[in-house]
Amino acid sequence: MVPETIIYPLGENALVLDPAPLATINFALQNKLCWIADKSRNLTGVRDAVPGMNNLTVYFDNAEQLKSGEAILRQLWDEAAQHSLPQRNIEIPVVYGGEYGPDINNVASAHQLSVNEVISQHSSAKYQVFFIGFQPGFAYLDGLPASLHTPRLATPRLQVPAGSVGIGGQQTGIYPSQSPGGWQLIGQTHLKLFNPHQPSPSLLQPGDIVTFVPTRSFTS
Amino acid sequence: MIHIEQVNSHITIQDLGRAGVAHLGIPIGGAIDKQALLLANRLMANPDNSAALEFSAGEFSLRFETNTWVALCGGHFDASINNRPLWNGWRGKVNKGETLHVRGPKKGMYGYLAIMGGIACETLLKGKGTDITNQFGGHHGRYLRAGDNLNIEKIECNNFSRPIGAVQRVNDGILRALPGPELPLFSPSSKKAFWHTSWKVSNQSNRMGTRLDGHPLATETDINLRSHGVMPGVVQVPPNGQPIVLMADAQTTGGYPRIACVIAADLWKVAQTRPGQALIFQHITPSQAQSANYEWQQYHYRLARAMDGS
Repeated sequence: MVPETIIYPLGENALVLDPAPLATINFALQNKLCWIADKSRNLTGVRDAVPGMNNLTVYFDNAEQLKSGEAILRQLWDEAAQHSLPQRNIEIPVVYGGEYGPDINNVASAHQLSVNEVISQHSSAKYQVFFIGFQPGFAYLDGLPASLHTPRLATPRLQVPAGSVGIGGQQTGIYPSQSPGGWQLIGQTHLKLFNPHQPSPSLLQPGDIVTFVPTRSFTS
Repeated sequence: MIHIEQVNSHITIQDLGRAGVAHLGIPIGGAIDKQALLLANRLMANPDNSAALEFSAGEFSLRFETNTWVALCGGHFDASINNRPLWNGWRGKVNKGETLHVRGPKKGMYGYLAIMGGIACETLLKGKGTDITNQFGGHHGRYLRAGDNLNIEKIECNNFSRPIGAVQRVNDGILRALPGPELPLFSPSSKKAFWHTSWKVSNQSNRMGTRLDGHPLATETDINLRSHGVMPGVVQVPPNGQPIVLMADAQTTGGYPRIACVIAADLWKVAQTRPGQALIFQHITPSQAQSANYEWQQYHYRLARAMDGS
């Protein structure tokens, strides 16, 4: 079913494409929005297009463009039915547990699982990148098995190392840079999620499919 | 070359920000008071987006190893070149070997110093500004320290015939704002409080957002929004009911209700209001927002006329 589209302005220069919310978040819809985002970013007068969770905010250079912008977004929405964003598969090597995943025992005991079962469940799921936000290169991933949903820490850590893989409620994610954080840390990757000196500074892009690959050490 | 002699202030290199990288989670950044940076660059006849210094309360000294001109704008800082005063909103000449001393502010929060030819700085992710939170851009992604040296981007520059000043803006604390998408979901008393009571700037404010204290705001029913794109000027209301005006270094996505959006022409007032001082929101229409932008264009046009042949 194709949801109805709603387009409304945000401030002077932006439009939000907000399809009437489906009961559950939907990756097919997200993929469509990411396709529209990619297309609209190449249009003159568009400054940026930022996917959110099943919505898209498009920033224009000035207010005069909002009217034509709305028509363009409706047209792209219609075209999007026949298109989808090419999906990239990205593997993230993770050293689970030990000093790199100090909370893995918490997660295991919260679900009466062994540490190995946590690792195998976390690394056998496929995750979809819905959007990038919160921090440069931070991907909102969907697909954490319900059996691993774990509440955040009661007291957030003041410093979580870059590359830490954590679980916060129904989500899993990777901290791109060192920051405070309240997620249960189960492992760490040596991949750089955000590198401002690269032409493509964010390793993950909206629409990507991510899998975590258990590895013994960062050198292997 | 410019040598940082002594610093007791947070000084960063800033420009007009990064356009087109928000979908990677990268904040727009740039000067928190973009009009002041732009004005300082105009006084120098620099391109509008040239890199300049942004600084907050405190003092610092710079020694110039070259003859040049500088312009001071933004919050009201006291400055002198050796012992000659450099007035806020003015440009002045600096001779090789002289020291510029800046201290303040008496009014406002952030000051700007543009240098003729602009500060040389690598463009990273479509901008030159320092992102302190994410530690990139500007001068090694950090505040300037004593001992740092800065280069001028374009040295062969015209020599101005005289100092010149710009008509100063007045911060009346009135923020013209467009209604946000979730405004209708707020209770009638919250809507009334938002538009008709004053809001005190909290000392929890920074370059990411200005937090406001006042009558707590609440939506009529609990709403659980899905994360969406946000930008500087968006006024979010977190569960504690105290609004936050997103500023230059704001996150690119958020999930709190968007009650309003402060127009770009008035965002500098938020930046330059001190903790404890009051702000008021004024509900306007999109065409009034366009007139407000037109006023800025007029201001810059008059300035350009005044500088003709100077």
